[in-house]
Amino acid sequence: MITKLLTPKNLRNLVIILVVAGILFLAISGYLTPLFSFSVSPFVSAQSWLSQRYLAFSDFFNSPRDMATLRSENARLENEVAMLQSEIVALQENVAQSDILYTLLDFARTNPEHEYIAATVIGREISPFLQYIIIDKGSNDGLRHGMPVVTQQGLVGRIDALISDAARIQLITDANSTVNVKLQTAGVEGLVRGSVTGEISLDMVPVDTEVQIGDILMTSGLGGTYPPNIFVGQVLTMQSKQNVLFQTGSVQPVVDFTNLSAVLVISNFNTVDISPLVP
Amino acid sequence: MWSYLIGFTGFVVTSMLQMSVFSQWTILSGNADIVLLFVVAWCLHDRSKHLWLLVLIMAGMVAFVSALPPVFPILVYLLVYRASRLFQTRLMQSPLLGMLLLTFGASLLQVVLHIAYLYVTRVDINLTDALVQVALPSVLLNMLLAIPIHAIVREIAHYAFPKGVEA
Repeated sequence: MITKLLTPKNLRNLVIILVVAGILFLAISGYLTPLFSFSVSPFVSAQSWLSQRYLAFSDFFNSPRDMATLRSENARLENEVAMLQSEIVALQENVAQSDILYTLLDFARTNPEHEYIAATVIGREISPFLQYIIIDKGSNDGLRHGMPVVTQQGLVGRIDALISDAARIQLITDANSTVNVKLQTAGVEGLVRGSVTGEISLDMVPVDTEVQIGDILMTSGLGGTYPPNIFVGQVLTMQSKQNVLFQTGSVQPVVDFTNLSAVLVISNFNTVDISPLVP
Repeated sequence: MWSYLIGFTGFVVTSMLQMSVFSQWTILSGNADIVLLFVVAWCLHDRSKHLWLLVLIMAGMVAFVSALPPVFPILVYLLVYRASRLFQTRLMQSPLLGMLLLTFGASLLQVVLHIAYLYVTRVDINLTDALVQVALPSVLLNMLLAIPIHAIVREIAHYAFPKGVEA
C-alpha cells in the first residue's frame, strides 16, 4: 500500500509541499526577513530612481504652466490689494473730512448768532512773502468781499478777492493784515499784526498795562472789519522798551494755518468801510 | 500751435501743483516757485516766434491768482523770456547752466520786487527776517528744483519740438 503511494511523482509532490511549507514557516517566523530585505533593496532603489526621474520629468513640463498660473493669480491679488488699499485711503480721507465738518458744525451750533458758509481750502498763495489761501466758494455761493473767515478754533482772516466759484482769503498772518483785539484778562485793547514769516505779534498795548503770559486775545470788533469775540490767539511773550508809549509781544495763534483744510465764512456780517473817514 | 498747447498745459499743471503742494513745502518760511521754474525752462527750450504771447498769458494768469500787483509777474516773466533769448544764442551748449543762471536771476528779482512792494505799501517788515527766513530759503529751493524741472521740461520738449522741425 505504501509502496503504491510512494510513486516517484507523489514523492516529488510531497517534497515540493514540504519545501514550500518550510519556506512559509520560516517566512512567517521572520527568519527570512534579512534575505528578503537584501533581495528587495535593489528593486526599491531602482524604483526610487525611476520615480524621481519621472517626477523631475513631469515637473519640467508642468511647472512652467503652474508658475504662469501662480504669477497671474499673484498679479490679480496684488491688484486687488492695491485697490483695497486705495479704497481704505479714500475712506480714511472721508472720515477725516467728516470729522472736520462735524467740528465746524459744532462750532456753528455753539455760535448761532452768525450764519456760516463752509468752504474747502483748494490752494495757497504762490509768493512766499504773502499769506493767502484760496477756497472753493465764491460769489455764486453768497460770498462777498471782506467777509470774515473762521474755523472751529478761531479767526482765520477775511475775503480779499473773489470770483464766481472761488475766493482768496487774506490770513491774519499776512504782513498786510491787522486785527483789533482785546486781552481777556488785562481788559485792554491792542492790535495783532501779521508778518512776512507768517508769525503774528501784539502791538499798541499801553505800556502801563500788566499783560500776563497766556492771556487770551479775542477780536474787539473795532474798525468794523471783524465781528467781536472771536478767538485769535494767546500771548507768548511781552516786551516793553523805555520811552515808548506801547508795549509789544508775540502771539501764538489758535488756528493751525499750516494745516487748514476747511473754513467757515461768516456770511451775515457786514464789514464797515471806514477808509473815507481816515484823514 | 502744438508747442503752445503743450506749454500752456504744462503751465496749468505746474500752477495747480504749486498752489496745492509746493506752497506747503517750506524751508523756514520760504517756498519754491515751480511756476517760475517752468516758465524759465520752457523759454529756454521753446524757440517759437510768438512765445512772448504765451509768456504774457502765463504772467496774466499768475497775476490773477496771486495777491501781488499784476505788474510783478508780467515784468519778471517777460524779462525771463528776453534773457532766455539771449541765453539761447550765447549759451547754446550748456542749457542747464542757462537754467541755473536764469533761475537765480529771476528768483532774486522776484524777492527784490516783493520786498520793495511791502516797503512801498508801508508794511512794517523786518528786513533781516525777510531775507533770512523767506528770501534765501526760497532762492535755495528754486535752485535745487531747477535741475529736475529742467530735465522734465527737456523731455516734454522732445515731443513738442521734434528734431529739425521749427515750431
